[in-house]
Amino acid sequence: MAAPMRKMLHGTARSLECPWRLRTLCAAATAAPAAAATPGKSAASPNGGSPWRLLGALCLQRPPVISQPLSPLQVEMAELLEQIEVEKSRYSDHEIRALEEAQRLERKKADIYDSDDDDEKDILLVQDLEDTWEQKFLQFKPEPRVTEADKKNDQTSLHRKLDQNLVLLVKEKLGDQETWMLPYAEWQVGETLRGTAERALATLSQNSVEAKFLGNAPCGYYKFKFPQAFRTENSIGAKVFFFKALLQSGNLSQARKKNDHAWVSKEELGDYLKPKYLAQKTVAVFQFA
Amino acid sequence: MTPQGHPAPGPPDSQTILRWKEVRTGVRATRVLNSGGSGGAWDAGAEAEAMAALGAAARALALQGRSGGLRACLPRPCWPHAPGRESHLWATALLSLRAALPVRGEPLRKKKKVDPRKEQAAKDRLKKKIKKLEKVSQELIPIEDFITPVKYLQEERQRPEPEVPFEVSERRTLLMKKWTLYKQQEAEAEQKKIRSMLEAQQEALRELRQESELLYQAAIRRDDSLFPFEKEGPTYTPATPGYQAPEGKYNDVTKVYVQVVHKR
Repeated sequence: MAAPMRKMLHGTARSLECPWRLRTLCAAATAAPAAAATPGKSAASPNGGSPWRLLGALCLQRPPVISQPLSPLQVEMAELLEQIEVEKSRYSDHEIRALEEAQRLERKKADIYDSDDDDEKDILLVQDLEDTWEQKFLQFKPEPRVTEADKKNDQTSLHRKLDQNLVLLVKEKLGDQETWMLPYAEWQVGETLRGTAERALATLSQNSVEAKFLGNAPCGYYKFKFPQAFRTENSIGAKVFFFKALLQSGNLSQARKKNDHAWVSKEELGDYLKPKYLAQKTVAVFQFA
Repeated sequence: MTPQGHPAPGPPDSQTILRWKEVRTGVRATRVLNSGGSGGAWDAGAEAEAMAALGAAARALALQGRSGGLRACLPRPCWPHAPGRESHLWATALLSLRAALPVRGEPLRKKKKVDPRKEQAAKDRLKKKIKKLEKVSQELIPIEDFITPVKYLQEERQRPEPEVPFEVSERRTLLMKKWTLYKQQEAEAEQKKIRSMLEAQQEALRELRQESELLYQAAIRRDDSLFPFEKEGPTYTPATPGYQAPEGKYNDVTKVYVQVVHKR
């Protein structure tokens, strides 16, 4: 982890390896390039003299709604187990009835005891029962596992990839370019870092999203140093602490514009995030199944 | 009453009466402790003495009356404290006492303080034994699924033995071996994942500590609102919005078990 740090240290101002640049810092830099004065609240370095700024980021996940498809080996094993279970079981009432009826039909065909046995049992045969059950089952139409959003590959929809975890990413404008990243907010004095993450969620969604935060502790962190142009004596870089939350209800579509946010699965993270950022060991927070 | 060794002339005076009782009880006590029930007759006598108040010399009379053989078991009262029986003063004191005390009837049965306690102790012991027996026979709620109903154990219900050809059984065994390997890999991968997530968390907490102790303390605090945590698991197909389940009546025949406490 130290090596990429050093690389960033020697990077130029236009080093794009560092995706995290503070908006406030860049705005101040563009407005008054000479004075790298940071906003007042952080001038006194509220972190007790440490040169790192604190950011709280939110790793909002939508847990899977349907189960994952079985691999071929699992399918084989499932079939085998069912076969063994049937072999070791006893006859059920339904099966006994079927066997008896089969015997009765045979006897009827052999033309012995024709009319006597007919009065004993009902006319409804086992076969008829099974047919009616089959018909009833076919009448029920379940929802498809592959939804429309999957076919359209609509990244902003929550109904895509129902069997996987989806993480929320937002596109933020940093300096001169836009990057995809996890939603974050800067830490203010008097709140815990989890409070910072909750504030980030509230500002992002305008309180339309409900999420369950999993504990007070962060699940990962990311440390980076600002490019040379943006450093002051108080802040040479920032530490971002990620907090995991599970989405319970709500959608971001009202709050944000269409292309500003995306719900991506683990494989698609690589398309959105910078490779160096992704390769960070601390981004083991994305080790969800 | 003439227990062996007792001198012939009359019952002893009040002082010797007391002493005799004490001695008697002392001896009796030691006998009870030392020989935990030597003979049936002795036990009956000891029990009678233990349960009721230890009586005076008259008690011995009662015992003597019950079983002649008891006399042999009665303790030989030794008189280490008796004042010189040979002294004439004792005899004269006795003679005067004879007139003073009504010696015709039984002496009053005094209930000693020790005896109710012993009674209570014995009753408690019995109660404890009863409680233990009751505890052992505590029934567990039967799990309906694990009890095979009797009708399925009948002969006609058995399937015919499946003839599994050799190739099929071979294939099955190989498949099961592959499956065990697969499950082992799956378990290892899960453990690795969990370990790496925990490591990442620990690193984050370490860095946070370096930043600010206050924030670190807030982060490691337990979150009480997290548990109990309820969440519906994934299903095979997603939920149909606006689905109405078919209506119908049903009789709920699940058995509910209630614990009954027997109090005595």
